Amino acid sequence: MKRLLLALLAIAALIPAASAQRIEQLPAPGIGGPPDASSPPSVPAESTTPELIVDLSRARVSITSAFQGESILMFGMFDPPGEIVVVVQGPAARETVMRKQRVLGLWLNTGRQAFDDVPAYYAIAASQPLQRLLARGAGGEILSLEDRLSSLKPATPREAAQLAQFRAGLVEVKRREGLYPAAFGQVTVQAGRLFRVDLPFPSRLPEGVYEIKAYLLREGRIVAAVSRPLPVGKVGFSAQLAGWADHEGALYGLGAILMALLAGWLGGALMRRL
Amino acid sequence: MEIYLPIAEQSMNIFVLLGLGAAAGLLAGMFGVGGGFLATPLLIFVGIPPAVAVASQANQVVANSVSSLQVQLRRGNVDLRMGLVLLLGGMLGSSAGVWLFTYLKRIGQIDFVIAVLYVVMLSAIGFLMLAESLRTYVKRRRNPEGPRGKLHTHYLVHRLPLKLRFYKSKLYISALLPIGLGFVIGILSAILGVGGGFVLVPAMIYLLGMPTAVVIGTSNFQILFVAANVTFLQAATNGTVDVVLALLLILGGVVGAPIGARLAAKLPGVVLRGLMSVLILAVAAELLTELLRTPSSLYSLGTREPAP
Repeated sequence: MKRLLLALLAIAALIPAASAQRIEQLPAPGIGGPPDASSPPSVPAESTTPELIVDLSRARVSITSAFQGESILMFGMFDPPGEIVVVVQGPAARETVMRKQRVLGLWLNTGRQAFDDVPAYYAIAASQPLQRLLARGAGGEILSLEDRLSSLKPATPREAAQLAQFRAGLVEVKRREGLYPAAFGQVTVQAGRLFRVDLPFPSRLPEGVYEIKAYLLREGRIVAAVSRPLPVGKVGFSAQLAGWADHEGALYGLGAILMALLAGWLGGALMRRL
Repeated sequence: MEIYLPIAEQSMNIFVLLGLGAAAGLLAGMFGVGGGFLATPLLIFVGIPPAVAVASQANQVVANSVSSLQVQLRRGNVDLRMGLVLLLGGMLGSSAGVWLFTYLKRIGQIDFVIAVLYVVMLSAIGFLMLAESLRTYVKRRRNPEGPRGKLHTHYLVHRLPLKLRFYKSKLYISALLPIGLGFVIGILSAILGVGGGFVLVPAMIYLLGMPTAVVIGTSNFQILFVAANVTFLQAATNGTVDVVLALLLILGGVVGAPIGARLAAKLPGVVLRGLMSVLILAVAAELLTELLRTPSSLYSLGTREPAP
């Protein structure tokens, strides 16, 4: 019981990391409450004793009209000793990679290869160099980006060497878009039992439910794992518009025409007055 | 200040987009053409996906042409009969164009086709305009009050069947000609997101032999409906019309157009056309180098599809 209270205190201390004054205003007994009552419990179902407790600085990524990408903080507490690995995965889909080639002096797409089950986003961070941790046997469950992608199923068969090239191309594009961040920092551990890691999300972020999974490793074995869903979606005006464009394309088109007619007519009339 | 474009799915500086709209509006005001042929490549240069740039630009063309048509209608510079015949071809052409666009997008060649078409079209028009304005410039210096040519000359095309009388344009020509012209412009409009005025206007003057006075108004009439059709079909089939993007371009254009018109009134026509041709050639050259230069990355991604 004492341990649990300590853990909750630690979490509460980390939540408003940005605004320190807020914590002073909170009444002491209130600190123990979770930051968001509606969010699912942090304690994993699989382990009865909470050896690993995690939470996110935000329950969801909201793409508003001012969205420019976002950084989400995952933090938590674990029973030492051990090492922490955090894996973030976006929703999987079929992705088509196209390769350019020079034809008569011009660069155009000549090759294409579709892969199934490609995560929209993939990032992995650990409190120690990853290779060292995974080499000791946690692999299989925890996959580095390379391992995760080597299992991608091509939609159409092709010889292995070619497939490897397209797979490398896929990673290259995703890296450039910030969707497979190469180095998003380490998981930092304080006082031997508190950890935190920043998860960067770029402005061009595919929508869907992302999964953030934290693992506690001891001697290279997974002793606890906690998974938190992170919904990513457009909200407000952006969501409304994108929804219309998606589901009511014809109506959206008519609306767009009407908007343009009105704006053009009014604008023209207005500027002629000036 | 950044704004998130919900269909392009990325954030972009609001002033860049307003500025682009203003630049296109400036051209529209100066030269009486839509400016879309410059705005679309520029949107692609700043990183908007070509499919979204083209479809949203078509939406902007609607606004642009309605505000010009307002003036032209009041002055009675619209040959409605010719406009409707052109429009018949335009509707067919733009519908075929959107279909072609969708197909090219699916096979991953749309970006290439857009770039190549722009290079070909812009360089052809740029060189023609440059040559024409240089010729006029030289001729004017020799003989300020040069002799006027015939109203129009008769070619083989005037022997086509289905002749119609166009009173306002003082023409008696086959309806197939404007229908065919409208069709071609419609395809261009759908694939490139332009109104097509910069092709349509010279074609109406030189190919159909229409009097210059009614050309601008009539082309505006055709462009308005074709652009509306493209907007509708792009939204309904590809979902690539970004109204936030279009609205910003329109707002910029509203400011730019009258400035352009005032500038145009101060500069002589030959200089204007010369300037414009240089601008067009510059954009064409930039697009061509993009096609020729070894790209920074050989790989790109198509659209994501949910797993089957």
